[in-house]
Amino acid sequence: MRMYETFEHTADLGLRIRAADLDTLFAEAAECMFSTVVEDLRTVEAKQRLEVQLPGEERELLLFDWLNELLYRLDTEHLLFCRFEVHVDEQGLHGSAWGEPLDRERHALSHEVKAITYHGLRVEREGDLWLAEVIVDI
Amino acid sequence: MAKESYHGPLERVDDCCWRIPKSYKPGMRVDGLIFADDRLLEQIKGDQAPEQVANVAFLPGIQHASLAMPDIHWGYGFCIGGVCATDPNEGGVISPGGVGYDINCGVRLVRSNLFYRDVKQHIRPLVEELFRQVPTGVGKSGRYHFKAKELKHLLSEGSSFLVGRGLGTARDLEYTEAHGRLDGADPDAVSDRALKRGEDQCGTLGSGNHFLEVQIVDHVFDETAASAFGLEKDMVCVMIHSGSRGLGYQVCDDALMALRKAPEKYGIELPDRQLVCAPVYSPEGEHYIAAMRAAANFAWCNRQLLMQQAREVFATVFGRSWQELQMNLVYDVCHNIAKFEEHTVSGKRKKVWVHRKGATRAFPPGHPEMPQQYMKIGQPVIIPGDMGRASWVLTGQLGSMEKTFGTTCHGAGRAMSRTAALKDAAGRRIDKELLSRGVIAMAQSHKGLAEEQPKAYKNVDDVVDVVHRAGLSHKVARMRPIGVIKG
Repeated sequence: MRMYETFEHTADLGLRIRAADLDTLFAEAAECMFSTVVEDLRTVEAKQRLEVQLPGEERELLLFDWLNELLYRLDTEHLLFCRFEVHVDEQGLHGSAWGEPLDRERHALSHEVKAITYHGLRVEREGDLWLAEVIVDI
Repeated sequence: MAKESYHGPLERVDDCCWRIPKSYKPGMRVDGLIFADDRLLEQIKGDQAPEQVANVAFLPGIQHASLAMPDIHWGYGFCIGGVCATDPNEGGVISPGGVGYDINCGVRLVRSNLFYRDVKQHIRPLVEELFRQVPTGVGKSGRYHFKAKELKHLLSEGSSFLVGRGLGTARDLEYTEAHGRLDGADPDAVSDRALKRGEDQCGTLGSGNHFLEVQIVDHVFDETAASAFGLEKDMVCVMIHSGSRGLGYQVCDDALMALRKAPEKYGIELPDRQLVCAPVYSPEGEHYIAAMRAAANFAWCNRQLLMQQAREVFATVFGRSWQELQMNLVYDVCHNIAKFEEHTVSGKRKKVWVHRKGATRAFPPGHPEMPQQYMKIGQPVIIPGDMGRASWVLTGQLGSMEKTFGTTCHGAGRAMSRTAALKDAAGRRIDKELLSRGVIAMAQSHKGLAEEQPKAYKNVDDVVDVVHRAGLSHKVARMRPIGVIKG
């Protein structure tokens, strides 16, 4: 079962993710974002790997920067990602993303994410789980 | 963060205007004013947009009031459809959130000498060819690539850079807001990431609510103005709605990042992190302004290239050059921008920074900033509606200078969230429904089409009615879509 969903924001889309630990939370957040870009994430193959290293202490801002980095790759290199591994600690984030270049023959696209926003951005404990909410500008 | 209704105060000023008094929240420097009739107000209260109007009133140096147009809806920090003017000499600030991610998102309208009767047999091939030739949607490179050095020229020179390369005419510049170029743009204030995102995106439509439509002049309300704009009933026109693409989004993103600590540094108290701002007279403020102007110039170039591509498609389909088809630009307006303009505030003339976030400049007759030919009529205002019903051409009125810093609405405004619209469209074929209404629509994304379905928007006619009655702008012509391409 997926631990993420989208929620309502008048003009755009909210991503809501829950996970047992921070690493999974960040990985699922990236998957959630790409599931709004591509109609069916299963059509994307894990052919190449991108390494991302980001400094930072504030969890919200780290999540922001992580998603932003992936978005930048999509926009400039037309790369779609489908699988993610992330490690978050006090110094920052180390993440890997696997995917392939966009191929319009195989990938049906649904949204262009213009930007990640700070609006309502949160990463926090919710009982036994971690919760993240991010609104993306469509 | 769920969608909640607004329960704060709203006092009636007149039939078309409501006030949020500055006593509502300590920290508000001026009142909030929302232009809406009773019916639209009910919809507006459905989310937190009025709260955002109140929050904008906290900004240092804000003049007159925090203003909102009838098409407002919930945004980030600022509502979409908001107007705010600040005086730099009174500590006034510049706020990237008051411009938006899509810097200089805007609309242009191109007329032609074709009429509905000439094209009705050719609409499908025309729309198909537009869809083939004009890049739309995610990850689609444009036909035009600009190397870093060229891109920098483009960013400082705006549309004139393209005209110098034969991609448009001097007349195109004359009929573009600010002649398609804001002075003071500094390409060196634009980050490498933004430049990289812009490299292959000039001349691409993008997605979301952006579109290129073939439209028919459906009804003329003001013959004199329509004739000055070159419009007649049943005439075929092209409307283009797009902005600064990834380059502009990145400029906004970079600014939000750079300004994270500015409010603290300058002692500015804000009720919402997305309202981050810096004094106009500060290194941070000046840097953003220089980059924002460069992104605005990029957006004008983008719409210029989109128009050129549309002109070429028409020439191919109808076998005549675009000049023979008299595909002249009626006007190009921006609706996400901040500009330094002269206005009268409490009887005094002064220069203020007018932030228009989802709001359109609407200068009245006689204002020097418009083509000579329109001087007696007023500046054309182009209002995109939804893809099933209508769009509008208006003209600026004196009321806009008195009440809204020369500003009017920018569109229909969303009535449904994307999620709600998608749910609503489940099991339906929006393209077939549009076809039955006489609109051929082609989009890269079916989901996108569902989210942008006509029902997801307020009726643009109602919005336009309010700005017309409030004296902000005046109805010239209603446009009906017959062909749509989208991302």
